[in-house]
Amino acid sequence: MSSEASEDGEVRVFSDYTRDFEEDADVVVVGSGPSGSVVAYELAKAGHKVVLIEEGPPFTPQEFRADGNISMARTMREGGLRSTTGTFMPILQAICLGGGSLINSAMCVRPPAFIFDEWSTRYELDHTTRADLDPHYDAVSEFLGIAPTPEDVQGPRNLLFRQGCDALGIASEPVDRNVRGCRGSGECFSGCRARAKQSMDISYIPEAMKFGARVLTSLQVQGVLGEGRRVGGVEGRVVEPFSGRTSHAFRVRARWVVLAAGCMATPVLLQKSGNLANTSGQVGRNLQFHPGSAVAGVFPESIDPIFGGTQSYQSLAFLEEGFKLETMWSAPAALAVRMPGVGTELVQRFGELPRTAIWDAIASTHRSLGTVKARFRSLNPVIRWTLHPEDIKVMLRSIHVLAQIFFAAGAEKVLPGVGGLADEMHSLEEAEVLRDYAIRSGDLVTASSHVFCTTRMHGDPAQGVVDEEGRCHGYDNLYIADTGIFPRCPSVNPMLTVMALAHRQAQSLVERV
Amino acid sequence: MWGIVLIALAVLAVRRVWLGYPATGAEFAVLAPREEAFLQAAAEALFPPHERLPLSGGQADLPGYADRYLAVLPRRQRTLIRALFALFEHATLLWPGKGRGGFKRFSALLPEQRLGVLRDWQSSSLALRRLCLTALKAILILGYVGHSESLAALELAPWKIESPRVEADFLYPPIGGRRDQISRAGKPLGGAPTAPPLMPGLDQEAP
Repeated sequence: MSSEASEDGEVRVFSDYTRDFEEDADVVVVGSGPSGSVVAYELAKAGHKVVLIEEGPPFTPQEFRADGNISMARTMREGGLRSTTGTFMPILQAICLGGGSLINSAMCVRPPAFIFDEWSTRYELDHTTRADLDPHYDAVSEFLGIAPTPEDVQGPRNLLFRQGCDALGIASEPVDRNVRGCRGSGECFSGCRARAKQSMDISYIPEAMKFGARVLTSLQVQGVLGEGRRVGGVEGRVVEPFSGRTSHAFRVRARWVVLAAGCMATPVLLQKSGNLANTSGQVGRNLQFHPGSAVAGVFPESIDPIFGGTQSYQSLAFLEEGFKLETMWSAPAALAVRMPGVGTELVQRFGELPRTAIWDAIASTHRSLGTVKARFRSLNPVIRWTLHPEDIKVMLRSIHVLAQIFFAAGAEKVLPGVGGLADEMHSLEEAEVLRDYAIRSGDLVTASSHVFCTTRMHGDPAQGVVDEEGRCHGYDNLYIADTGIFPRCPSVNPMLTVMALAHRQAQSLVERV
Repeated sequence: MWGIVLIALAVLAVRRVWLGYPATGAEFAVLAPREEAFLQAAAEALFPPHERLPLSGGQADLPGYADRYLAVLPRRQRTLIRALFALFEHATLLWPGKGRGGFKRFSALLPEQRLGVLRDWQSSSLALRRLCLTALKAILILGYVGHSESLAALELAPWKIESPRVEADFLYPPIGGRRDQISRAGKPLGGAPTAPPLMPGLDQEAP
């Protein structure tokens, strides 16, 4: 293998790779999403030689697409069509520089203390309380300028949510987001053309490069180089954007390896590397999600839904019951997919889109577990997961609460999206059927981009894959930094938490490297 | 005897699956004529003419849209989507349309029979059938509602946005391009606009 090493502070793209190559670094970070970017930045700032590897390409505004299908096919794994088996559920996972931060809605939410209390007591994590993590939340928040969404870019569909919550006495709040100068175009999911969202590709990664971090995109890591209790780097192939065709081989030798490839890719990578770090047998197990259920409400007048932050208002009032409520917007055609019916009734509903708001609930389904396993001759996973009957009831309850908020806000009808029930409900009384409906998992149309626990953190090496610092049990220099290390789903949007954990991990690594 | 029966069945299967589709002259990167015929028929049934929208499904070139979508999908997902189209086209053998000729392939059914077939999928007691319809609708709705004329009629077109150049815009070349293709024009943070229209000729003025 010849040497074609990159230079400090350089970014490499697909066309830069003309032959096999090797690199050397103090630390190699696999995955440029929110956690990998934080680790890369903090270590580079501390003066270490860092190589940050990303399988996807960098996207600039010229590369964003309005069409939902095309946009997802370009920015998400398996063309945006990844899904679970068992209980079917689409899983949205990014493959691009910056990871999910490029195409998420920038929601930054700190879980309340009781979530961490559960983590501490159930998983023997003595130093992972909310108080322990607050300094790390603060550091990330300051770097990204995280702040509540201002009133002037909320738009009617977000403010109607507040109005409905207020009428029912439900606490709600503007969402904290990693955004500077939002114009309320509601385009977060296809990439922020206004360059307001502080996704990793325009925030942490350029700053890491200023400190010398080398960013190698379009590289697919296929194996971790293992040497007893130590690992020696990673290897893989150059991969062409979108087609996935692989070509030249590469190897990055490093004294420290941080896997931040995501909750699906990291366990698969460990399995493909000789079942690395799996003395506990927990790699790829305990898979959890936050399944999302969207409810549509149609108002008497136009609500100008295209204006306003994508997801800018939320309620944390039901977290202890197991769900969180939030507003939502996306490309109008993508929202239209939510509409029931065929033929004239369907087209009629498209005509109502300017009067329609969509709000959603994410459920903390910690009873619903699954597994991730490497597919034969592929790095894509087989994802098995089953929605637990008790969690289905929680999701139905969340849909009922959303219907109540819609009617309290003045909606003339609600489309609950529950199979076996009426497509439209025109009053609170009609929506009461949601309270006791004997629902089955197939009655719910749900999706998730929040994935957890496949390399969970646990104080006991026999029950978890990593310790509280993210270091793999039994290894000196192998770390995991993505949401796979969460011991349990956190009940709120995970980006800020995984960044705070990565920040803490980086502080620890800075001392060790 | 059994040999003759098997040959006859094979001939019937070939005729049903491959033969008799009209050549429309459209050129596709991925779609076969049989898939074009199915998609056109499904689009006409799903999205009939309506006063609120300027185009019907039959006018929105949804086969062309589906072809562009399939072309950017990974091979495995492309195969799955094409299998979905084939499933709907031939599932009339299991769940026929109402009335005479209900067992014909979907694209050969009468318009009211097609609508009835789709309604049966929607109200099926089998979750998997409902799920398949949701998947088919998703592909076609994104093309239909996302059509520039539909969005314009609904006043839901994307805005014109002139984005400031940020430092990162000077780091990354176009996808598939070389680093010497990074535009050096404009100044960082507040300089020249870089964001092209999401839908050329259609983006509306921001409020």
